[in-house]
Amino acid sequence: MAGKKVDLSVDFCGVKFQNPFLLSSSPVSNSAEMVAKAFEAGWSGVAFKTLNSDRVRIVHPSPRMNPYHYGSKRLVGLQNVEQISDRSLKDNLLDFLYLKENYPDKIIISSIMGFSNEEWAYLAKASEDNGADMLELNFSCPHMTIEGSGHKVGQANHLIEKFTETVKKAVSIPVLAKMTPNITDMTEPALYAKQGGADGIAAINTVRGLSQVGLDDWTVRPKVAGIGAISGTSGPAVKPIGLRFIADLAKCERLGLPLSGQGGIETWIDALEYILLGSSTIQVTTGIIHYGYRIVEDMIEGLSDYMVERDIERVVDLVGKALPTLQDTDKFDLESQGVASYDLDRCVGCGQCLTVCNDSAGQALEWDPLLRRPTLIEDKCLSCMVCSFVCPVSGLISYKQQPSDWQRRETAVMGEQLEAELKLAAFK
Amino acid sequence: MYDPENFQRMAKGFSLDQAVAESERCLLCHDAPCSKACPADTDPGTFIRKLRLKNVTGAIRTIKENNILGGACGVLCPADRLCEKECCATEISRPVEIAKIQRFLVEHSWERNIKVLEASESNGKKVAVVGSGPAGLSCAAELAKQGCQATIFEARPEAGGVIRYGVPSYRYDVDFLEHELQEIKELGVEFRCNAPLREAGQVEELLENGYDAVFLATGLWAASRLHPEVSNVDGLMTSVEYLASLRDEQFEALRNKIKGSTIAVIGGGSVAIDCAEAAVKLGAEDVYLVYRRSFVQMPAEEVERIEALETGVHFLLLNQPVDFVINHQQKIEGLRLVRTRLEKAKGTGRRIPKAIAGSEWVLDADIVVEAIGNQAESGSPSWYPNVDVDQNGLIQADAATLTTSVEGIFAGGDIVRGPALVVDAVNDGKVAAMAIIEYLSKKEA
Repeated sequence: MAGKKVDLSVDFCGVKFQNPFLLSSSPVSNSAEMVAKAFEAGWSGVAFKTLNSDRVRIVHPSPRMNPYHYGSKRLVGLQNVEQISDRSLKDNLLDFLYLKENYPDKIIISSIMGFSNEEWAYLAKASEDNGADMLELNFSCPHMTIEGSGHKVGQANHLIEKFTETVKKAVSIPVLAKMTPNITDMTEPALYAKQGGADGIAAINTVRGLSQVGLDDWTVRPKVAGIGAISGTSGPAVKPIGLRFIADLAKCERLGLPLSGQGGIETWIDALEYILLGSSTIQVTTGIIHYGYRIVEDMIEGLSDYMVERDIERVVDLVGKALPTLQDTDKFDLESQGVASYDLDRCVGCGQCLTVCNDSAGQALEWDPLLRRPTLIEDKCLSCMVCSFVCPVSGLISYKQQPSDWQRRETAVMGEQLEAELKLAAFK
Repeated sequence: MYDPENFQRMAKGFSLDQAVAESERCLLCHDAPCSKACPADTDPGTFIRKLRLKNVTGAIRTIKENNILGGACGVLCPADRLCEKECCATEISRPVEIAKIQRFLVEHSWERNIKVLEASESNGKKVAVVGSGPAGLSCAAELAKQGCQATIFEARPEAGGVIRYGVPSYRYDVDFLEHELQEIKELGVEFRCNAPLREAGQVEELLENGYDAVFLATGLWAASRLHPEVSNVDGLMTSVEYLASLRDEQFEALRNKIKGSTIAVIGGGSVAIDCAEAAVKLGAEDVYLVYRRSFVQMPAEEVERIEALETGVHFLLLNQPVDFVINHQQKIEGLRLVRTRLEKAKGTGRRIPKAIAGSEWVLDADIVVEAIGNQAESGSPSWYPNVDVDQNGLIQADAATLTTSVEGIFAGGDIVRGPALVVDAVNDGKVAAMAIIEYLSKKEA
């Protein structure tokens, strides 16, 4: 593959990024000292930790996060109750200037959150005046309880439009609206943001959740001086939710705005999935909290190798490429049926397929207790493929298309002898 | 060099994190093959699943209800050729370390004071258990769980038999044993130590002295000897004497003797390996393991052989001990050896070592340890004159019920099987307990 060059750079809302990988607005983008390290590692830009206008002093709860572990696998999810930046506006803006001076090719997106038109405009202007290349309007911080702030804005469409409009009037740099997933349909508020003049949409912010309940103290986590709260949950556990919202936004023809996708991204594969569903840039926090800034090296290398292998020159050529296959369930061709297919040469004989087929599927496997091998009764196979999900040998069980005249056996009825006792009249 | 802590204590086992991570490699097999590979019916398929699903107390219960010495087995079992050999994860990467998970769960129960066993209401039956090794302990615990009053008679000062007096501390330490013994005591088992039953017929008299049944599990405490007539030689020891000394008040004296000396251990089994490795750890200058066959033919487990090599034991293979070199002060000076070569195997048998004529030589040694096998003590049949024994003094017991030729007397463990694994003895104890319960209920009916 040596010699071949791919272009990872992207034009996003008229701003050029060296690659699609950005830090999201969060603890990992809290200061220039941190962001400089991220830039050195290869991140092309940062959505800086949401600025505070100094109107109220911000104090983060202690402790401010709690992990969601799965067995010995750490941090499949993360819950946090962190607030916007607890630094003064001046300190943050000095950090902007430092970053622009030392990393002129990197992009600073200033995340802001105000409580009034005036405050939004003030923060927007201050950002622009001190080197911000873009703005990200935080309509989605899940820890705000005051109406008209954070995710409460994200749930109040007219405020989204109003604040976006205010900001757009105050500055000339591109403006992203960052949306909350704590809502049924994200396209609606996104359209209001567009109406207000937003140049792009960033999604998703964290999902309101509860990661843990203490069994000794019957107290939810994180436990802040004896109490907890429903708060922002992130990490791999929320990736399916993030992908869903990005796809919804990308499919919305009326919206038609560039997207910055985020939610549970750790690897180039996660990032690419977001890109294939319509994101031009992607943003990361929890992956960095888990592994550090260094993960961008693997994102860049992984995505580059993929593109070389597929002979794709520009990342832009991948954006939204999976969207045509995303349809409503009523579009499924139900005539098309298949079964699981077993490559038993590689079977290790654990029999997990048997357990799941018996207990959650079609009872379509027979088991040879001496050889410790399954045999599929094809016409009982539901093609649910759960057997392949638990099989420890990748690729041993695959999906096999059946001919169009193939028939699946009806599910066994245990009560056939009890027909006389059946109380049932046909539905009219 | 000798390090008291490392010599007296086993290496640390798994932590909770390690055990959980290891349990995640388990494939949670249908009809788990590991669970069918344990001679004592230990069920790793179930206890690992329970650990995986955070049912930790349940996992401990699964182990302990089946095997009161689950900890000892977790430490001492050659699991790589039992449960772990059957592990389906082997084909993915390597077997799940079942024994280490088992040991962890047992230790975890002690650390967190998790009790999973309860004494049951007394059924008024009294059973005497002779010998407090793995078979005796297992039987007594099972009987106690079923409501019998079990009393263990132990000749030595402390309970445990071979797992106290027959293995070095770094393999299985006293603290660990005491924990397992404590659990057995909590079930209501009575221990009578320093209580040998070595008078003629004394074992059988138990049936006339208030006991409804007897379980004989006295083990094999006589050592096989190269020249049984040679005795009272300074520096000549049997493995039985040697290993027991490592565990009692003789320890410091033996250690002083070994330190800086040259030791020759005769034998190729696990016991010989223990003797040799212990000598290295106690600061011997040179330790030779003398074995007449080759490395791969040694009966010791492969891991033990490799560990001994790595510890610094010199393997002197294909050398047959012929005689001891003893000076006029009755002190050992060396071992006379003759080199061997392996004859072609006849049929499927092992290749036979044949002495090479004229190849005799003397290995200088300050101490010679004979570790060529354990056998029944010569007088043991007289303790139970009506119990049938074979020509080697091994008790003849029915394989399925462990009943002997005397009604009410059952027997198991090494005194029936000959040298075997701890886990085999544990199973004998359970089998005998069940047979005793059945015998007692029939007798009543």
